[in-house]
Amino acid sequence: MLLEGFSTALQPVYLLYALGGVFVGTAVGVLPGIGPAMTVALLMPITYALDPAAALIVFAGIYYGGMYGGSTTSILLNTPGESSSIVTALEGNKMAKAGRGAAALATAAIGSFVAGTIATVLLSFLAPVVAELAVGLGPVDYVALMVVAFLTVGALLGASVLRGLASLALGLFIGMIGIDDSTAQQRFTFDNPTLVDGIDMVLVAVGLFALGEALYVASKLRHGPVEVIPVSKGKNAWLSKEDWKRSWKPWLRGTFIGFPIGTVPAGGADVSTFLSYAAERKLAKGSNKAQFGKGAIEGVAGPEAANNAAAAGVLVPLLTLGIPTTATAAMMLTAFQRYQIQPGPLLFENQGALVWTLIASLYVGNLMLLVLNLPLVGLWVKILQIPRPYLYAGILVFAALGAFSVNFAAVDVGILLVVGILGYFMRRYGYPVAPMVVAMILGPMFEVQLRRSLQLSQNDPVALFSSPFAVIVYVSMALIFVGSWWLRRRQASLEAAPVKEELSV
Amino acid sequence: MSVQVSTPARRPTGEILFALVFVSVGVAGLLAAGSIPIPPSETGIGPRAFPYIVCSMLVIVGAGIVAQVFRGKVGQAEESEDLDATAKTDWMALAKLVGFVVLHIFLIEPAGWPVAAAVLFSGAAWSLEAKPLWKAVIISVVLALVLQYVFGGLLGVSLPPGPLLEGVPFFNG
Repeated sequence: MLLEGFSTALQPVYLLYALGGVFVGTAVGVLPGIGPAMTVALLMPITYALDPAAALIVFAGIYYGGMYGGSTTSILLNTPGESSSIVTALEGNKMAKAGRGAAALATAAIGSFVAGTIATVLLSFLAPVVAELAVGLGPVDYVALMVVAFLTVGALLGASVLRGLASLALGLFIGMIGIDDSTAQQRFTFDNPTLVDGIDMVLVAVGLFALGEALYVASKLRHGPVEVIPVSKGKNAWLSKEDWKRSWKPWLRGTFIGFPIGTVPAGGADVSTFLSYAAERKLAKGSNKAQFGKGAIEGVAGPEAANNAAAAGVLVPLLTLGIPTTATAAMMLTAFQRYQIQPGPLLFENQGALVWTLIASLYVGNLMLLVLNLPLVGLWVKILQIPRPYLYAGILVFAALGAFSVNFAAVDVGILLVVGILGYFMRRYGYPVAPMVVAMILGPMFEVQLRRSLQLSQNDPVALFSSPFAVIVYVSMALIFVGSWWLRRRQASLEAAPVKEELSV
Repeated sequence: MSVQVSTPARRPTGEILFALVFVSVGVAGLLAAGSIPIPPSETGIGPRAFPYIVCSMLVIVGAGIVAQVFRGKVGQAEESEDLDATAKTDWMALAKLVGFVVLHIFLIEPAGWPVAAAVLFSGAAWSLEAKPLWKAVIISVVLALVLQYVFGGLLGVSLPPGPLLEGVPFFNG
């Protein structure tokens, strides 16, 4: 099956699409302030006119490209910001300042490639197995899985539990606007024809991520020239033998930390990069250990690998269960649904050819990422230097283009603006936006499954705990919460540590 | 990373108002949910149950945040690469940006997408103090035409070219 996928993905036209996807994905991902979810959301219009296979291939490229682009930003820009690559920034930024920027980028790129490839192999073997098991899951089990996804995304991953839950609830609310899936009744539409069809996911995502971010940055824009750390050229700048020796183990460890964390609904990339960083810091010995906080290559290699492996891992629940566990996965799901591709246990049976093409193009995209990235560092630096007024003006134009092309209705751009203003205030007051996006797409599915399970049990809520699988899921959720409480305390002490070191110098 | 600076005595009025937005959406939702029609054939919990749950959650969580803010636990504003965390909020720039998006919305149909996009870009660049302005205007025109050509012409996304470019074949899919 995978071979068939490759035979499609390796056609010259599709190779070009993959190349284009990786290139555009990285270029947009490199832009400061643009995370992977926003990259996928912003680039959705470019695939509207493509056939499903080509669109999936482009998305595979954008997905990996966007992930990698973020790490380039945090290594080279003086002011790191994105959460999923913030751990990379910890050491990578220091390396760049010490004139080892090229080495940091190289270990990130090769680590991403190694991890991405291994993780995609794991995905190719694991996904069909999980899909087969998932066919046997009933509505009760889905309810359990989605409760876990909601709570981890909403309550675990932000600084404030209540604000995460507020964002989650608002996403659930927006998801209800329109026609009820089970009874075809209108809900919260107030007989407004625009609302009857529901609010399109693309509008909310682009509004929250792109417009909200642009408005937020604009309100406190750092004026003056952009400081990019120069990347030194020459032989010494490249990975030395010593660097290779110090990198390969963190790559592998990062892979095996990242992939499992990506596959369970426990937060994807952020958690895995932090765990990998903590592990490398602990395992480093002697002089290498002393380098942590001052530019240790292990601290770039491990988290970058973990990040990419988690990105592939996230595709397991997405493809086999139809459950997105990160905002980026929610965007991928939206993209799939535009092509009438419904991820879930039956996907591998009903649309096997397409899925395997997608998986094959993940391999191809990964390789292209490696080939493209190292020679093009100079270009990424140029992109980073785009004057900020033009950059954010451009983001606004692209966001407006994306919103308009959903239905070719100007009123959609109006909805985009409202959501964008909401996104601005959410950022200003510390509300995470990712739970809202995930809730909006998962909410309607959750309601259908919940009502189905209660209907089957004549409205007896105890039935929600009747299947052994669901019970296992709830118990592991409790364990995850205890574990995360412990992790959070570790993270707090870790974040305090580098500051102390700087003060003592 | 987030070094704990002693937070300036910011009046949390805005934050409380924003939390109250969640509460009021929840209250409005609870009121509106009562009038969702239930088909007679319904045997399960029906189309109203989930709205009631979600809207109650909005009310409770929103009220919880208000309480937290009153007790001094304010939210941590998000960090970003291009953000000057010490700067004061530039409400004027925000108002201008929102204004230009509104203008863009009303220009798409009558003037065509490229014109609307060029106005949005140069307006936004001007709001963010791009200098010199003529450069921003030139970039906006070029960008709008390129996007119209790529999306309208090549990718077949039907962006209205507007009266100015109506007759130019390669701007239409």
